[in-house]
Amino acid sequence: MHISDGLIFNNTSIVLAIIMWFLSIGILVWSWKKAQQTYTRSITALLAISSAFVFAAQMINFPIIFGSSGHLVGGTFLAVLLGPYAAILSMTLVLGMQALFFADGGIVAFGMNMFNMAIIGGLSYFLIKAFTRKNSSQKWFISSVFIASWISIMLGAVITSFEIAPAFSGGLAVTLPSMLLLHGIIGVGEGAITTVLVTSIQRLNPTILGGLSLLKGRKDKI
Amino acid sequence: MKKFLIATIMIALFLVVLIPFASNNPDGLEKVVVTYDAQEHQSIWNGIMADYSFFSIGNQYLSTLLAGIFGVVAVLVAGLVLSKVMTSNDKSAKNNAHRP
Repeated sequence: MHISDGLIFNNTSIVLAIIMWFLSIGILVWSWKKAQQTYTRSITALLAISSAFVFAAQMINFPIIFGSSGHLVGGTFLAVLLGPYAAILSMTLVLGMQALFFADGGIVAFGMNMFNMAIIGGLSYFLIKAFTRKNSSQKWFISSVFIASWISIMLGAVITSFEIAPAFSGGLAVTLPSMLLLHGIIGVGEGAITTVLVTSIQRLNPTILGGLSLLKGRKDKI
Repeated sequence: MKKFLIATIMIALFLVVLIPFASNNPDGLEKVVVTYDAQEHQSIWNGIMADYSFFSIGNQYLSTLLAGIFGVVAVLVAGLVLSKVMTSNDKSAKNNAHRP
């Protein structure tokens, strides 16, 4: 879902790109302040290693229909692992390295990509929290993780459709349905991979998720 | 230090095993761009290793793998710096503070 700078060239899209830069930087600053109040030193290794893993996982595309493919974005995964604020920062870091070194996602379009993947991904934490408010059984927790992953991809796809529409002669009428169709399927992959990762981490090291308030009987820390 | 080395090796192994299976098809967004013939202009920045190709290495597998490992190390180091600065107000961290 990385928008390249090649798609940002006319006035409408440049204005959109600038707006998204401002919006995303604003939310990034908010996350940074929240993160400074929220986290202790013990987050450092987990943040660094999970960011590096998400970078690697994003390189592995899985085939879907129509000769297309998708890959894990990992926003919801990071949100479950690190909480919303550190997840936004961590994903911004991944996207930044991709844009800087590998031209995967543009520089002008960076504000858009940040919003579509890092911010929506990180904020999906609150979706899981809302879903598990009444029922916090393990089964429902994992189902919530799946649904939140799928929604984060679909929401990202909707906003991407608006952002790239100026580059298409058919505009939004073309981009929205096709983006939703493909990402409806990619989102299932996102949900499947995220739930497998989260359950594996719970099995291997249950204390890792302990700092978050998503699981039953945990103290509210975030 | 040791855990970062182990983590890097584990993630590198993840790439070693999975890169051959990764699909080369265009991703969802690229597919939409190609199918509906969107106008695409030249980008202002083409990266240092565009398309995850490590400089002039001919073998595609090796080239992607090295680019991937480079990126993993870059993100790991940046993540470490970011999280250290982020938690620099936390005084409870005597244990980690003076470790190399």
